[in-house]
Amino acid sequence: MKSTEVENRIRQLAAERRLPATHLERWLAIDQPSRTRLLEITETLKLRTGQIVAAIDTLDEIAVREQVTIADILDRPDLRRTLKSAGSTPARASALIDQLRAMRFPLLRAMQSRLVLEIAALKLPRGIAVVLPHELGSDELTVSITAHSGAEFERMLASLEIKKTGLMRVIEMLGGKQ
Amino acid sequence: MNFDLDSIFVERGCADAPLTTRVIRAAANRVPIGYVDDARELVKPDRNARDPFGAGKRRMIIARRKTPFLMACPAGSARFACCGYLVLTLASNCPMDCSYCFLQEYLADNPAFQVYANFTDSFDELDQLIRSAPQKHFRVGTGELADSLAFDSMTGMSRDLIEFFAARENLTLEFKTKTDEIENLLAMDPRGRVLVSWTLSTDAVFRGSEHRTAPPSARIKAARAVLDAGYRVAFHFDPLIAYENAERDYVRLIDELLDTVAPKNISFISMGGLRMTPGLRTVARRRFANDPMLCGEDVLASDGRYRTFTPLRVKLFSTLAERFHKCGAEVPAYLCMETAAIHERVFGTAPSRPATIGERLASG
Repeated sequence: MKSTEVENRIRQLAAERRLPATHLERWLAIDQPSRTRLLEITETLKLRTGQIVAAIDTLDEIAVREQVTIADILDRPDLRRTLKSAGSTPARASALIDQLRAMRFPLLRAMQSRLVLEIAALKLPRGIAVVLPHELGSDELTVSITAHSGAEFERMLASLEIKKTGLMRVIEMLGGKQ
Repeated sequence: MNFDLDSIFVERGCADAPLTTRVIRAAANRVPIGYVDDARELVKPDRNARDPFGAGKRRMIIARRKTPFLMACPAGSARFACCGYLVLTLASNCPMDCSYCFLQEYLADNPAFQVYANFTDSFDELDQLIRSAPQKHFRVGTGELADSLAFDSMTGMSRDLIEFFAARENLTLEFKTKTDEIENLLAMDPRGRVLVSWTLSTDAVFRGSEHRTAPPSARIKAARAVLDAGYRVAFHFDPLIAYENAERDYVRLIDELLDTVAPKNISFISMGGLRMTPGLRTVARRRFANDPMLCGEDVLASDGRYRTFTPLRVKLFSTLAERFHKCGAEVPAYLCMETAAIHERVFGTAPSRPATIGERLASG
């Protein structure tokens, strides 16, 4: 595809999707192979405006962080598998954005997974919910109890007492302890 | 260190001030000098410049400060465990250009490098402060909205400040810097009442993000020199940036520091994680699009700033605290812009009140 043709198609798509001017500008400023590859994927997966914005932001930051081109990132086996998977177009688009987020925040994702596993392993009764801080942006763990009677409430408190060590481990992990 | 200036503008009312005379002598025909009645328009960003903030840094304005010089640290908040730092604003903006610097947002509307010709008026404010609380000890710094020493070879401000503080028992002056510009300091006797602190970063952060600053090893060497000249020294590991291998690099940096400055000679250390408001992050990413240090695993935290996600950030604090803990002498330490709960996680104890911490750090 010729450079001018790619640029025209990007501009047309940006107009159709009402892509913010800043993001159009950034898309056009990307190196030629990367810009083209992103266009192909956007068209194939019919990315929505918010998804295009997220893709440009995330790809740019991964590229800077890892000192690679956006085309290099989009050609990674994991992403190619998602692009060719059997799911619906919207599901593949959503999976692509999620995978990009995972590449952008590898340690955060790993930590979140470990915490989720720790909490699941506690096998807390229904009615007790443990909520991690959004994107681990704080060290606050929220534990909530939903009870419908005094007896039920007492059972849950007793259960929490039994699981106290495990919950404390989760809180310590939020504070950076391994 | 030499920093480039494109121009110097002097407000006519300040033309005869001693500071103006020193600056003009130091500029010695290398920089064009203009005189204006009112510099307020020149302080504003040049919207035609490709980088208005960067251009502002190279435009020195010598003017009269019309508002108080002394204020509480702008980073302070009831949300955080603070250090009781008082800020003396004698200049505004900085000739160095760190990609993460909060001034990019804080001074976006008035980015010119302003130096206040009437800076000795601040001494009246300080004397008033002492009179208001004669039993207290205050730590007052000049390095919040500017680097304390970056233009000291031109302005010579440090000499006046040292002379003033050396004569006052319950004040401690903190020069905070990323330079090695210490010549004026070495010629003065601080009488134990002046502290020089350096922001220390790893080589990776220095190379990638701290443009026109002195290399970390030069900062450490300068610290050793001022220590030998009778100054107290302190170090700010702020911002700590959690890039790959950061823990290893920061521990090596501390090793290098402790090889040069014995722990017992360090008045205190502070630590703070990289933190950026969404506005600052946008500006910083635009000005330094290829800096990987700005693309760490930062998430929007509950205080509305992007910060390294909590477990990773706290782990980095703990690693550094542990390294200092192992060095054999108790080095006082505090966290900047972190909650009391995070302080307790890192140091194992609840933080004291800001005024108490401030007084402890000031009195040494």
